[in-house]
Amino acid sequence: MASDQEYDDQSDEEETGVRDGRRRTMASRPKDRGQARWEEAANRNWELQEGADGSIEGVLGGLEEASKRKRLLKDTTPLQRGIIRHTLLVFDLSSAMNEKDLRPTRHLLTINYTIMFVREFFEQNPISQLGILGMREGLAIRVSDMSGNPNDHITALKLLRATEPKGNPSLQNALDMARAALYHTPSHGTREVVIVLGALLSSDPGDIHDTIKSCIRDRIRVRIIGLAARMHICAEICRKTNGGDESYYSVAVDEVDYRQQLMSITTPPVLRATDTEAQKQNQAALLMMGFPSRIVEEKPTLCACHGNLTRGGYLCSRCKAKVCNLPATCPTCDLTLILSTHLARSYHHLFPLRNWVEVPWSRARQKGSTQCFGCLSSFPAVPAQYDGLENGKVGARSKRAEGASESSRYECETCGSHFCIDCDVTCHEVLHNCPGCQSRGHVGGGEEVVDGG
Amino acid sequence: MNAVDATDRAATQEEVEAPSLLTIILDTNPHAWALLADSLPLSKAVANLLVFINAHLAINYANRVAVVVSHSERAEWLYPTPADATLEQAHSNGDGENGNRAGTGGAVQPPDDANKYRPFAQLEYAIMTNLQRLMCTTTPAAISSAPSTMLAGALTRALAYISKQSASTNPTTTATTHFNYSDPSSVAGGNSLNPSDDTTTTSRSNQRLTTRILIVSVSGDLAETYIELMNAIFACQRLSIPIDVLKLAGDPTFLQQAADTTNGIYLSLSNPLARAGMLQYLMFAFLPDAAARERLVMPGEGEGVDFRAACFCHKRVVDIGFVCSICLSIFCEPLADGTCLLCGSHLSMANYGQKPVVVARPKKKGKKKRVVDGGVETPGSGRETPAPG
Repeated sequence: MASDQEYDDQSDEEETGVRDGRRRTMASRPKDRGQARWEEAANRNWELQEGADGSIEGVLGGLEEASKRKRLLKDTTPLQRGIIRHTLLVFDLSSAMNEKDLRPTRHLLTINYTIMFVREFFEQNPISQLGILGMREGLAIRVSDMSGNPNDHITALKLLRATEPKGNPSLQNALDMARAALYHTPSHGTREVVIVLGALLSSDPGDIHDTIKSCIRDRIRVRIIGLAARMHICAEICRKTNGGDESYYSVAVDEVDYRQQLMSITTPPVLRATDTEAQKQNQAALLMMGFPSRIVEEKPTLCACHGNLTRGGYLCSRCKAKVCNLPATCPTCDLTLILSTHLARSYHHLFPLRNWVEVPWSRARQKGSTQCFGCLSSFPAVPAQYDGLENGKVGARSKRAEGASESSRYECETCGSHFCIDCDVTCHEVLHNCPGCQSRGHVGGGEEVVDGG
Repeated sequence: MNAVDATDRAATQEEVEAPSLLTIILDTNPHAWALLADSLPLSKAVANLLVFINAHLAINYANRVAVVVSHSERAEWLYPTPADATLEQAHSNGDGENGNRAGTGGAVQPPDDANKYRPFAQLEYAIMTNLQRLMCTTTPAAISSAPSTMLAGALTRALAYISKQSASTNPTTTATTHFNYSDPSSVAGGNSLNPSDDTTTTSRSNQRLTTRILIVSVSGDLAETYIELMNAIFACQRLSIPIDVLKLAGDPTFLQQAADTTNGIYLSLSNPLARAGMLQYLMFAFLPDAAARERLVMPGEGEGVDFRAACFCHKRVVDIGFVCSICLSIFCEPLADGTCLLCGSHLSMANYGQKPVVVARPKKKGKKKRVVDGGVETPGSGRETPAPG
């Protein structure tokens, strides 16, 4: 057959090209088409190149390091962010959520992820408020009210597990209800709506473009995570409410991606200088807050928030009413009560730790580092056969995966200390401090290294 | 097979206690120790600490210890001995072959003494040698110009070491709050959705490394590195690492909050009599690990904690502060010109101490006809309380 012959000719020519990892075994695939998206996740064990000594340990370690570092490399310039957030989460409770393409069903997986999200959100943004809505049978329903206590939301979400999703979602009703809930929030906080949409339609009672216009007027920023396919109306909503930025609408391709997108919402959003509406309304304000101390009493007294008899608690700085836990709003005089540690939790968003760079063998040799500065674990030694090799020849050696340092060392540019991959991940995700910068104070007019890192 | 002689062999693994890693951060701020020289010199404090460390190691064979020192301008490891220290030692001893065993703490060989338990001897020798080296390499310029002590740096280094040790000892860390980045299904806060569902009852929990940090502090003002210190304290909270604090001198500032946030113990020895009994305080309060602490009455539980913040402009402690919504800096009074001192953004001032909204009383026309006190109409709605006399 003519097509087969053509295929045979092609395969003969390309035998030498097989080794660079592209599958050309299917006749229908055009020559210069890149890898399909699903192929990136496939594990190609046969392609690993062996190191100079015949072992693949270096390459495997490199793959592991690269996958760990992938999550880290994001922009770490200090930007102005909205720290006091008022966020509304909108669920799709329509019949499309019964699909089982995300295990066990989209609905149950969404609830599980949301419970994790709620905990992480309040840990990263302790002075913010969250509310949850749902879209079901063409109506918008209230799952939990705006509050700063994670347990309210978690109990409401657990109850939601028992209900069955049905009907069609309505984006317009959800946005209108969100607008009403966010109407009374003060102007110095952010107003965000996050919609998780699994359906491919929206059945609205009126013109959704009017709703979009009123959302823009109320300074509400909408973010949508799609679970099925990309929709034009979603892209338009996100683009218009975020001032032309296209990145706020994304579709999750699998469970891991879905979770990552949901968790990335816990980072405070960036405030834009071009947001003229915000400039006019002068968002920044000086807020009056109380910093109570904890007291322990001998005899139990009533608390003002629940009416329970407790032996300890916090006294409001203005009216001395007792509240059980912080952060809270005093039930008597409406003063926001927080601890300074709650404010301090958000500092790492405002002053992020700069990314560390990979260290090539030449620099490793120059610095002579044998141990990780943070955890004292030893690095692989600089190989002896490196002597005499120039930079051009580095590519001929077995290259580790993209994103992993060839010498397993990662350097902080400010202090010059070398760290291992685990310390890199720990310091950027959990600690937000660089051990090197913190351990070297300036002595007698030296360079100031005590920065936000 | 078990039924033959009625012994139950399967359960013996459960009785082994979990190993514990104790990290001690010693504050060696020379100014502060000089003030304490008459009641508790540094050498005596270190001797007490060594006895305490020996006790900790003696309780469980698998217990480990790590010591970081927070000096005036740097934070260094005392134990395990870092690699560059070992190399120096090896060169000065003229012995080259020990230089390769970096970071194990075993490369520094103590003098042979048959009467001393070997692990204790090694540890003591390593700590004393490294401490002496640290003191000898401190320049006068360093002491006079640096801020009080590098506590944030010491805490950060200790935490990096701890998380590496925990990760290498617990390969299946799904139950801890330590975020396992390689596992796509792991989540911050633990994989189990129910936070009280802690899997400490599994049999693997006996090999899990429990960690805690003890800070021996003498310095007061830590405000220079406030942000970094807070970051480290939150990391400890997230990783469930209790921070115990033994304060020998200086203001409590943030260490009391640190101990409270992470469920640690805060003890302050304020008078010389208490300081003389430092070893007793160490043994009674800080020796029990997390499991034992649940069953004991620990000191410092019944006291309140001072959480008030310090304002950024005068460093005064405030009860009610004014917070900039952009950079979260705290001020003690409303700003004169409306500009935040740190971020320079213009802030709008709200109406502080506003009066509560009063609902207007509806005018009741019918009540005007009421005759009081001999026909004279009383003004108003007649609801005023009658004045005496």
